[in-house]
Amino acid sequence: MASQCATSASLRPLLERRLVIVTGKGGTGKTSVSAALALAGAAAGKRVLVAEVGRDEHVPRLLAPGSVPVGYAGRELVPGVTVLRIDPYEALGEYLGLQLRVRSAVDLVLRNKAFRQLLDASPGWRELITLGKVWHLEQMQDAKGARRFDLLIVDAPATGHGLTFLDVPRVVVSAVRTGPLRRNAELVGEMIGDRDHTLLLPVALAEELPARETAELVARVRSSLGIAVDRVIVNAVVEAPFPAGLEDLDERLARLPEAGAHPGLPPFRVLAACAAHLRSRADLNRVYVREIARDSGLPVVTLPFLPMGIRGPSDLRALADPLLAHPVLAAA
Amino acid sequence: MRLPDELLAKRVLVCVGSGGVGKTTLAAAIALEAARRGRRALVLTIDPARRLADALGIGALGNEPKAIAPDALVTLGIPAPGSVSAMMLDMKRSFDDLVERFAENADARDRILQNRIYQHVSDALAGSAEYSAMEKVFELSERREYDLIVVDTPPSQHALDFLEAPQRLLEFLDSRLVQLLLHPAFAAGRFGFRLFQRSAQRVLQLLERVSGLAFLEDVSEFLLAFEGMSEGFRERARSVRALLLGPSSAFVLAAGPSAESAEQASLLLDRLVASGVPMAGVIVNRVRVWPGGGDAPASIAEGAEEAPAIETLRSALARSEGAGFPALEAARAAVAATRTYAALVRAHALATGRLRSTAEARGLFWLRVPELPRDVHDLIGLCRIAAALRGAPAEEA
Repeated sequence: MASQCATSASLRPLLERRLVIVTGKGGTGKTSVSAALALAGAAAGKRVLVAEVGRDEHVPRLLAPGSVPVGYAGRELVPGVTVLRIDPYEALGEYLGLQLRVRSAVDLVLRNKAFRQLLDASPGWRELITLGKVWHLEQMQDAKGARRFDLLIVDAPATGHGLTFLDVPRVVVSAVRTGPLRRNAELVGEMIGDRDHTLLLPVALAEELPARETAELVARVRSSLGIAVDRVIVNAVVEAPFPAGLEDLDERLARLPEAGAHPGLPPFRVLAACAAHLRSRADLNRVYVREIARDSGLPVVTLPFLPMGIRGPSDLRALADPLLAHPVLAAA
Repeated sequence: MRLPDELLAKRVLVCVGSGGVGKTTLAAAIALEAARRGRRALVLTIDPARRLADALGIGALGNEPKAIAPDALVTLGIPAPGSVSAMMLDMKRSFDDLVERFAENADARDRILQNRIYQHVSDALAGSAEYSAMEKVFELSERREYDLIVVDTPPSQHALDFLEAPQRLLEFLDSRLVQLLLHPAFAAGRFGFRLFQRSAQRVLQLLERVSGLAFLEDVSEFLLAFEGMSEGFRERARSVRALLLGPSSAFVLAAGPSAESAEQASLLLDRLVASGVPMAGVIVNRVRVWPGGGDAPASIAEGAEEAPAIETLRSALARSEGAGFPALEAARAAVAATRTYAALVRAHALATGRLRSTAEARGLFWLRVPELPRDVHDLIGLCRIAAALRGAPAEEA
């Protein structure tokens, strides 16, 4: 485990990266992590861009509840944080415009029914064009010629699909012999594989199946994708419900003889049942945090469980500090 | 609240829902419950993460169903003739099977299987994995070895790909652009198509500039090989669709208990109903329930009630644990923990209550499965879930 300690000590802070691709199984809270990281970046004075790639927008609801959709053009939702949703069809239109340089030609292609059918049936292009748009955003400059964004965060699709997403440039490079498509895929591939600037940030839950899938994800990233991954975020970790010395409080409560009704106080057996349930869930969480660290061979960062969910920026800020905290080697 | 018998009398049950709600576990539990009611059930997962194999404890799954040993079923209280089998699809292989079956001849088959494009896309072809799975469902359903097939599906964004993908593929094969790629000489000579042809030709030229000629050549070769398959494929796609949307199938939506999950589930429910699938009901998984049933109290020893409540608990603990035990600290901790617990019960009740109204307004059944103190990773755990599906308290399983 000595090598792991070295890894942890040499870990670069999250905010020093340029492109952070947040991934994980569905329901792990990837979007909350993306939004919390964006707020942390903005608080550190960075110009941040969050790109959503799904069919629906989720980040705006977290950052600015009640705001209208940001769409493909994107909008600065809170100072320093611009959010957009990359719609593959819009990205394709933009790309064709850049390639063909004639608007009427682009319209001819995009309005062609057969071409739409070709697109609907074709695999991979959505992923490639989405990543191409990310590349394009990464290259953007402001009026002074400086980079438009300091930190780009991509809220990637759920695992499984998420890895396919990142694997597409490599597949295109190996499937397409020559031509502009191949060159574009190569550029995107270089951006993703840039181990200095790009980081894959897996988000897991401290539960059995997400833990196992995270280990599979990390193994696959290491064996075939070549993207930098240096820590795992474990979200919604339930804390031990009782202070040190009282860990078995549920058992003590269960031994109490009932004392009759008291206003506002549930029966002792109910207190005991609640306590036992919380303790059991917290114990399980601890086991799986350890398992994730062991099986992935990576340090972990744990985020607290927020029982009411994320209702807005203040809840996100509660996640931002622990998110930036130095990872711990839970396996040790 | 009980999983309706009519539902288990169907031939195919499709479980849909967002990621992370425990859909695979629910699908397996439904199969167990169907078996308990005497059905020969098969649960099929197309999730690449091998979850079902884990949950059922039957190791690696192949492209053929594996039955749970009869003695194990007896131990679980599942009497004959009920049985449970499970299977996970190897998606790549399944698509190869399709090619083998529908290719015109061995030559065409080899041309497809060896095509560069095919080798890269067969596992990624939009919806092909889902379609292959449904195709397998159809095949298994035709074999009549099972009374009920429970199908787990990938997360929500793709929930309907398995129905739409074959249609998309066929429309595409029929399209003029493809015809032009396939038979340029023939198409160019057709009188009347001229005008359209010219614009399609132009689209192809533009595509060539964007993608490169070699790529289009490979695509064209792939499509040419595929074209011969399309008749058999079309016929089959129609049958699969008829089975899934027909009266012998039903869809069940699995949801999570949080406000966010319930909201996602409502959206998905609207989409599913709008697309005409035979929705039967909603199952909300891992709902935290109040011990002993009923609603959680609105507050636990708040305000003026706090001090006397903590004192009652403190003195009970002091009596029971004796001197030296930090009874006051323990009493406070117990009340705080109960508040935490109750808050989540209330949050879940609020979120799932809205989903319940939506479901019931549409005439769908609604069930909730309580959150268990431990994880479900074995058959006994699945039986607890199955018990909840028939309305029995989870502890009794």
